[in-house]
Formats: sequence, C-alpha cells, structure tokens
Amino acid sequence: MSRLNVVLVIMVIIGAVIISSFGTTAMQRLQAGFLSVISPFLKTGSAVQRQIGAMGEGLQTLDQLERENEQLKAENKELRASNQIYRDLEAENGKLRSALEYRKRSIFKLLPARIISRDASAWWSTVRINRGFEDGVESDQPVLTDVGLVGKTTTVAKNESIVLLISDESCKVASKVEGSNERGILSGRRIGEGEVPTEMQLNFLSKKANLQPGQKVYTEGVTKGTSTGVFPSGIFLGTVKSFQARPLDGQAIVEPAVDLSTVEDVFVVVGAQ
Amino acid sequence: MRLAIGWFSLAVAIFLTIVIQEFIPPLRFLHGARVFLVPMLFCYGALSMPFWAMLLMAIYTGLLTDLAHLNVVNGHVEIALGWSIVVFVFFGLFAHGLQPAFVRGRWWVHVLLSLVCTCVFLALQFVMISFRRQGIFFNEIVAWRILAPGVIAAGLAPLVHLAVLKIAPYVHGPTRLRPFRRIRQ
Repeated sequence: MSRLNVVLVIMVIIGAVIISSFGTTAMQRLQAGFLSVISPFLKTGSAVQRQIGAMGEGLQTLDQLERENEQLKAENKELRASNQIYRDLEAENGKLRSALEYRKRSIFKLLPARIISRDASAWWSTVRINRGFEDGVESDQPVLTDVGLVGKTTTVAKNESIVLLISDESCKVASKVEGSNERGILSGRRIGEGEVPTEMQLNFLSKKANLQPGQKVYTEGVTKGTSTGVFPSGIFLGTVKSFQARPLDGQAIVEPAVDLSTVEDVFVVVGAQ
Repeated sequence: MRLAIGWFSLAVAIFLTIVIQEFIPPLRFLHGARVFLVPMLFCYGALSMPFWAMLLMAIYTGLLTDLAHLNVVNGHVEIALGWSIVVFVFFGLFAHGLQPAFVRGRWWVHVLLSLVCTCVFLALQFVMISFRRQGIFFNEIVAWRILAPGVIAAGLAPLVHLAVLKIAPYVHGPTRLRPFRRIRQ
C-alpha cells in the first residue's frame, strides 16, 4: 500500500471518529434528515405491500361481505350505546371530582398513524410511522392501539418517526399487575430467550408475588416531580404467562397485548387535549 | 467516466437495498434472521474499484448503514454514528488485497468475502450492543442471526456478479471480469 493510501485511510478513520463524537441530538438530526430522504421510497413500498395484501383480502364472497357488514353495523350500534353511557358517566365523574376537589386527569389527544416499515436490523425492534414533527409528534411520546401499548417515539423527522417497540430489550416501562400490589419494570427479553420473540419480562416483583397466568399488566405512570413519565398510567401492556421467584426478586413473563409483528395502524399520544 | 458510472450505480444499489431490506420480514424458519445485503454489495465495489473509490464507498456505505440503524435509548445512542465507516474501511482494505485474484476470474472470492464480512459486521454490532446492555452472552439464536444473513448474502453474490457482467458490455464494451476499471496487463 502506498504512502498516499495510508494517509487517506488514516484521514477517513479520523473523520469517522469525529462523527462518532457528535452528540445524540446531532445524530438524531442527521437520522431525521436521512429518514426524510428515504421516506418517499418507504411510503411507496408500504403502499405496494398493502395493495398486495389487500388483493388477498379482497377476494371475499358477497355472503362474507354481507355478514361482515351486518356484524359491523351491530358493533357500531353497541359502541354508540356504550358511548352514551360513558358520556353520562364522565359528566357524573366530573361533578364528583369537583365536589372532592380532585385534580382532573388530562385526556390525551391521539394522532392516528400508520406503520410504513420495520427495522431491518437483527438486534433492534423498531418500526417507522408516517407521522413526524409537522404533525405534532415529539420524541418520547407513547404509541398505542385500541388494544394496548406499542412503544414510544425516538427519532422524529418531518413526516416520519421511529418507534421503539416495547418488545425491545432497551424499552423499559414501569408497570403494575391487576388484582395485586405488585409493581415492576417491563422490558423485552434478550435475543434468544423464550419461545416467542415478542415475549416480555416483568422484573423486580416481590418474590412472594405468586402471579397467576392471565393476570393483566398495565402501565404505572410514574411521576418525576411535577412532570409525568413517558407512559400515562393505565395503558394495557399484556397478560402474565408465567411467574418465577428468583433469589432476589420475582419475574413474570408477559405476553404483549398487541401483536407487534402484524400491527399496522397505531395512535401517537401527542399531548393533553 | 466508466468508473463514475460504476461508482454511482453501486451507490444507488446500496441505497435501494437499504430501503428494500426494510420490507423483508424476519425469516422465521431461520430463527428471525434478517436479509442483510449491504456488505455483499460493498465488497463487490471494493474488489472492483481503485483504492480511493473504495474509500469513498466505505464512507458512503458506513454512513448510510449507521443512519438506517441508529437506535436511541433514553437519550443515548447505542452504537455511535461513524463506527460502520471504520468497519467498512477495514473490509475494503481486506478486499483490496484480494482484488488481483478477483479480476483474474476467481469470482468465488466475492462469495467468500460476502459471507465473512456480513457475519463479522453483525457479530461486531451484537458485541457492541451487548456491552451497552447487560453484558455479553451467546446462544443458538444469536448464532443463527449472525450466520444466516452471511449465507444468504454469499448465495446471492454470484447473481450480482452475473448481473454486472451482463450490464458491463452496454457501459464499456465487451469485457471479461472487468466490471469497473481496466486492469493493467
């Protein structure tokens, strides 16, 4: 190798080291720029993928469609009725709260979003959604479906964001177990642990917790001083699959409420209404 | 001019591969392994291009790969931007050493290099995130997720080589294993 080539290699390595010393915000800004560049390709790819999927779904008989339509109408009526009850309950709740001088809990505004792609990496569980800072999304905002929690936003670009899924080992959620006083930290399992890759672990429980399969796990909504944590309290996370007492604490294996490998439509909690 | 066409074609191919990989789901029958073809394409460039063009390709590929996989956890980046550039520079140096064999018709050099580079890249990525998390560990699934993408890349490498050989005559006349530059006789 000539001397010039050696100098070139050293210069490139020094350049790479300088880039690696950038702060997190600068790196996120660069990633947001990159996301904006690949966004048209991702959206096109996602649309093509959906159309291919829809072709299979579209091949239904008239009978099937009629049945589905009737079922949806019935469901709609049921939801309208229950909505009416909830409206009454909300008004009643408000009156009682003011009578007791309770601080009103904020109702969160949900922004509908669509998953446009999933991270191609073997080690991280992230997805990209079609909403960005132009739509009011910020980093560290919860992402959920009507069933339960999906994850939280990390890097936010103009019209896209990256969502870290709750099944990732590095996504940690303060949680509580229904029907008990047990509280713990829920996170994804390490690669290769467990039979199902999306299974999660609930750590730091009491050794004597003795949780039963089927018990529901919700977000705890930890508050730090005057501000609340990333996840509001009471979002459904999943159900306990098994429990084991370890030397220092108890650990439960939790099945996520949302099927994270197939979910397509989500909501971002963009702030209080 | 030929080199510029070759370089930009490869750059576009790498960019499109990064996008297409996003739509390929994890392969369940291979324990959730993913298709990862970027090192294979980079190796082809490194085996075919002059040294300085290989270095430029390493910067481009490394930066794009890092931007595509940058993971931020609690305000901290797990693997800093730029580390892939260093890795691709080393892959490039290694590939460049094997360039004489490749241009003399040893096409399998690219196959072997694709296998090794893909596996080494994924293994390094895994070691780095393991250190940042709860310490290093190893199991069968991790092995599958490192080896399977390497085998897939190696399996597809001859197709890339064939495609370049088919396209090359249209760019710079009949050629025999001289994808991007003329070899000094």
